[in-house]
Amino acid sequence: MQPLTTDMILVLCVIGIAIFLFVVEWVRVDVVAILIMVTLPLLHLVTPKEAFIGFSSNAVISIIAVIIIGAGLDKTGLINKLVAPILKIAGKSPSRIVTAISFAIAIISSFMQNIGAAALFLPAIQRISKTLKIPIGKLLMPIGFSAILGGTVTLVGSSPLILLNDLLAPFHLEPFGLFDVTPIGLALVVSGILCFVVLGRFILPQGAEETTKESAGSIEASPLKEIGDTFELSTPDDYTHYRDPIRIRDLRKRYLVNVVAITEPPDFKIISPASDTVIRAGAELLAYGFEKDVRRMAESEGMHLKKALGVFKNEVAEHTSGIVEAVVAPRSSLAGKTLREINLRGRYQVVPLAIYRQGETYRAQIDDFLLRVGDAIVIQGEWKKLQLLQHEGTLLFTTPVDVELLRPEKAVFAALWLSVALTMILVFKIQLSVCLMTGALGMVITRVLNIDEAYQSVDWRTIFLLAGLIPLGIATEKTGTAAWIAQSVLAATGQVQPIVLLTIIGVLSTLFTLVISNVGATVLLVPLVVNLAIAAHTDPRMAALVVGLATSNSFILPTHQVNALYMGPGRYRSVDFMKAGSLISIVFIVVMIGAIYVFYGV
Amino acid sequence: MAIITISRGSYSKGKEVAEKVAERLGYGCLSREVILEASDRYHIPEIKMIKAIHNAPTILERFNHSKQVFMAYYQSAFTQRVQKDNVIYHGLAGHLLLNEVPHVVKVRIIADLNDRIQSEMKRENITEQKAHDAILKDDEERRKWTQSLYGRDPWDSALYDLVIHIHKFTVADAVDYICQAAALEQFATTRESQQKMDDLTLVCQVKTALMESYPEISVTCEYGNVLVYTKAEEHIAHKLETKAKTLGQKIDGINHIEVHSRVPIPPNAI
Repeated sequence: MQPLTTDMILVLCVIGIAIFLFVVEWVRVDVVAILIMVTLPLLHLVTPKEAFIGFSSNAVISIIAVIIIGAGLDKTGLINKLVAPILKIAGKSPSRIVTAISFAIAIISSFMQNIGAAALFLPAIQRISKTLKIPIGKLLMPIGFSAILGGTVTLVGSSPLILLNDLLAPFHLEPFGLFDVTPIGLALVVSGILCFVVLGRFILPQGAEETTKESAGSIEASPLKEIGDTFELSTPDDYTHYRDPIRIRDLRKRYLVNVVAITEPPDFKIISPASDTVIRAGAELLAYGFEKDVRRMAESEGMHLKKALGVFKNEVAEHTSGIVEAVVAPRSSLAGKTLREINLRGRYQVVPLAIYRQGETYRAQIDDFLLRVGDAIVIQGEWKKLQLLQHEGTLLFTTPVDVELLRPEKAVFAALWLSVALTMILVFKIQLSVCLMTGALGMVITRVLNIDEAYQSVDWRTIFLLAGLIPLGIATEKTGTAAWIAQSVLAATGQVQPIVLLTIIGVLSTLFTLVISNVGATVLLVPLVVNLAIAAHTDPRMAALVVGLATSNSFILPTHQVNALYMGPGRYRSVDFMKAGSLISIVFIVVMIGAIYVFYGV
Repeated sequence: MAIITISRGSYSKGKEVAEKVAERLGYGCLSREVILEASDRYHIPEIKMIKAIHNAPTILERFNHSKQVFMAYYQSAFTQRVQKDNVIYHGLAGHLLLNEVPHVVKVRIIADLNDRIQSEMKRENITEQKAHDAILKDDEERRKWTQSLYGRDPWDSALYDLVIHIHKFTVADAVDYICQAAALEQFATTRESQQKMDDLTLVCQVKTALMESYPEISVTCEYGNVLVYTKAEEHIAHKLETKAKTLGQKIDGINHIEVHSRVPIPPNAI
């Protein structure tokens, strides 16, 4: 066995410090990754070129491309269509949603790179989280883990398994079939999802709720707080009997409730109706206001307040309409006029909800208000209409109105380029990064999204985290540290039961994959364990299989590509991964060994 | 059921009519009690109150607003009394306040001038000329007062649902007509009309509460949403705003209160 060299000690120190920093989080994980990237060449453990080779790696480029593709799909509304059937099946319960998406992603990632599947689902999960107001931290981690676990269902699901047969060839061992691992893989997926469904509330971060709200709703938080919320109401069929006609203006005066949409029976929708529109019987209303005011209105006007949005669900969806704050600009022609004169409802089909002036909020009778420079008007409307108003230039919008303008007309192109990329991957077996970048480029060229939007969609935290860990893997292998650890551990075990030996191999592979890449770990460990297994009279194919599977058991640190990808959007900390990941890793090893015992009789 | 207001001049038998109607319908009958209540509630000597309500403001009083403040007290006491419905009011200066409330039967009782002069002569033991002058002066005073407060002439018959001239018609006839009118469906109290009355009461209460410090304000209210209008400077409006917000907790029924400065004041503001 090799002696322990200075370089090996240095590598072990760097690994130790990296893990320490991941745990204590004195700096963010991506900064730790950059630290590693810089330290290794300074210590002469890798060459400067190797230090930054991560940025050109297949995985990192694939992630960049797949994020752009995902953004393109989201921009065209395709993701919404994809999400709809899932939500239909799963309903609104978070655990059922997690289960449904987890199974879907596991099946997809069993045939394609799990990072690809994870990135494609990311915008969909974010949308579900926003729509159903489920903290995103409760969704992303279980789904990300399922994507990783899904990689073990077929022999083409993850890189280590793809490599496995090639690594067995020199030993003249029988190669594995495509579905040989399927029973084990399915057992792993099911047990992983079960863990989250049963124990989710204990192992998932609970504090994620506030942070998600902050990230998702920060734009609208301030105006919304002042003018209440959205409610849907309906009028009974005998509403207009025995009473004077009630107009939208009256409701505003009496209850400070703004009707922003109404149906004309039977089902014609009027968005931003004129204020003298009469409320008819059997109509549906979409109203903005404080809950107490809306309740008061429903009660005294005999309307039915619905529990959730129904008819107008799409009209208030974040991508079609919203609330903005707009300030009367200096030298604006609006200064000195009243809202009645400006007639925003009539001219732009948007509804002014309130006026802020010198720290006071005015909600009642704002039509007669003489506007002054510096007055902020809270306006509700469709993004399209708000943009028209913005272009007029008399109001300065303090909230961006082009937040999420969908381009449904480009959906065909988005779908086309996604299928081009998938065909290249699955049929022509071209390198993943090339295929995905082709798809991303195609979307930019066909104007599904512009190049600036593409750049903005990329999460650089993820890119630097992954790119920074790659040289650590290189250093661990190049200095012989990995081989030394593996040999030391296996030498120390001595003569044991085959099942114990497989467990040790599983644990070792798990530890390796946390630090070095799963491919690196597989290439390094398979020859070693095959030899060892032959010597110990254990099935060498099973030993190799354990390595191939257990190198997907990377949950404890956010070093796996999928975990790195989901860490930013999910606002997770390393501790969150350690908490949930430790449990899943232990379950993984137990289930894997158990399944191998059951299905292969070792 | 309804509210009946009877506007009358002196010696026009309005009081007699009112009391008989009240008796027949089982309504409450209000007049001077409101003055007593207002002076009691706001600690103003009764005589000052009567003067303020009865006489048109002098030039000086137009500047110091004291009369308007008393009037606000009076209106507040008045609306709170009639808010409960089934009441006849035949006192001073209340009729036009209820203009917008649908379930109010507005009656004007007038009497023949000669009859009035006779009554005055008999009661005060004075000459015909003096009695004539006194009655005309009294009528003029009331006319001026209503003009200054509401901008209307109390002798304008368009302000009333019913004008009864007690001369050929007797008091009993008048009582019949009024009772008949009060029973009509269009004067019945509905939820909406009661809401108007409640809003009006709220307006008077808010105005009273703010009037002392900020006399030049107008107030409107719809379904408990109170709007205070002022033409004051920005910094004064700001103070008013702060004070108005505290009323939200003090006065029942206020759903929302806002102060709007320097905007056109709606004609129905009080």
